[in-house]
Amino acid sequence: MSYDPYSVLGVSRDASEEEIKKAYKALSRKYHPDANIDNPNKDWAEEKFKEIQAAYQQIMKERTEGYSYGGQDYGSGRGNGYGGGQSYGGYGQGFGDFWQQAGWQEQTSGYEEEPRLRAAGNYLRNGYYREARNTLDGMGEHEKTARWYYYSAMAYMGLGSNVAALEHAGKAVALDPRNMEYQLLLQRLQSGGQWYESRQAAYGYPHAGSNDLCLKVCLANLFCNLCCGGGGLCFGGYGGRGMF
Amino acid sequence: MFGYIVINQSEMKFKEYDVYRSYYCGLCQSLKERYGRLGQLSLNYDMTFILMLLTGLYEPREQEAQCRCVAHPFEKHPTRRNLFTDYVADMTVLFSCYKAEDDWEDEHSLKGLAYSRLLERKFRKKPLLYAEKVKNISLAMQDFTDAEKQGNADIDTLAGLFGRVMAQIVSCREDEWKDNLARLGFFLGKFIYLLDAYEDIEQDIKKGTCNPLRKRYEEPGFEEECRQILTMMMSECCKEFEQLPILQNVDILRNILYSGVWCRYEIVRRKRMKDSAKEVTGNEL
Repeated sequence: MSYDPYSVLGVSRDASEEEIKKAYKALSRKYHPDANIDNPNKDWAEEKFKEIQAAYQQIMKERTEGYSYGGQDYGSGRGNGYGGGQSYGGYGQGFGDFWQQAGWQEQTSGYEEEPRLRAAGNYLRNGYYREARNTLDGMGEHEKTARWYYYSAMAYMGLGSNVAALEHAGKAVALDPRNMEYQLLLQRLQSGGQWYESRQAAYGYPHAGSNDLCLKVCLANLFCNLCCGGGGLCFGGYGGRGMF
Repeated sequence: MFGYIVINQSEMKFKEYDVYRSYYCGLCQSLKERYGRLGQLSLNYDMTFILMLLTGLYEPREQEAQCRCVAHPFEKHPTRRNLFTDYVADMTVLFSCYKAEDDWEDEHSLKGLAYSRLLERKFRKKPLLYAEKVKNISLAMQDFTDAEKQGNADIDTLAGLFGRVMAQIVSCREDEWKDNLARLGFFLGKFIYLLDAYEDIEQDIKKGTCNPLRKRYEEPGFEEECRQILTMMMSECCKEFEQLPILQNVDILRNILYSGVWCRYEIVRRKRMKDSAKEVTGNEL
């Protein structure tokens, strides 16, 4: 039987995000190690908690990334590998799965690559973004092929440099417009904006006339800073509705 | 650098606004108790967002109360406080110390220097529960101010260093949400830094101070590009947010993340459009 994270949380596959979060909260409250200190079965509870945690994270990841992963082995140690001593993981989380999608199998189909480029690819696949970056940066200007830009974009993304990543993905596509991998990466980097904008619609973008209340809030903020800077008389309460 | 992560009040229910304000006032009180009136001056909306984010995620026990505020002595404000209120108050002051010092070095603002010294003294007296955290944030902040001084013009590097400071502030516990929170804070920090750069670009060019958007500003499509970059930062930030199991006050948080953060951007953009229109008509005359 295949693993189903939804059944771990006791919700159906078409449950809303809110329902999933509710189910997770209820279960985690019950099984959280802090709530089971005196429980004789606390080891069992901890196992259960980990299972719930993993199931929840997998579901939410799938939903925010917008596509499904191939089973439960996702995120197994990827992303944390990059050097530099940061205690938090790489910024390329959820990115690892892009490799599977983009078909790294191409590697085995006899893709001729410069050895340093191949090394950079290997680093990337294993989540060593810093090392990949160093290798790529060590190459000369004339060696910057479409492939180079493709890898470079991925390394930047993994390091959280998303502006440079977008730029380089664009260059890779410009240099080799027919390559599907490059296009997929560019799309992937651009789609975040579309995803955001589609959600934004529900919360109202602050266009509207110049009489917008939102602008007044911002002004209230300035006002507060001003009067604080001036005499230290503002005790933080910001205006209140009456003030407007 | 603060005042960007605000609510869009016109899209908010009255009840939600009251809740938001109770956290804001709670934070203000905590700042006053812990750092005096001087500390209160560092109160800002951005940190209120972080407070509500952590509250929503961890749902700590809260104390509700009423307070009177000197600015509005006849009105009582409800306040809400929890263990994150004091944490965020400490982070607000820590950040303000560095910011004030930075201002002193940049613009020789004496007020900034005096402020930073006074706050720092108070901060050092505090027996801190999270000394390690403070050390990490201080280090990240130091890297950031150093890079800014060197005038490294790369967008990702500069914004990323500020992002790292925010990542440290937001990921307050060593637990299962640490990575999500760190990435959320990282991209939120990048957004704040770049929006600040976007707002100050003309001024920075005039004064010759460092601004990572400078090169792009001279090229056509500057506005469009800035918007795309800022949207990208918020979308990465929100992807992390949506993965967190937050139910409490989630509508307020989403109001900020999807709408409020664009308030200041719109003000700046519209002002710039008006100014450039004036310039054109001025030339024609």
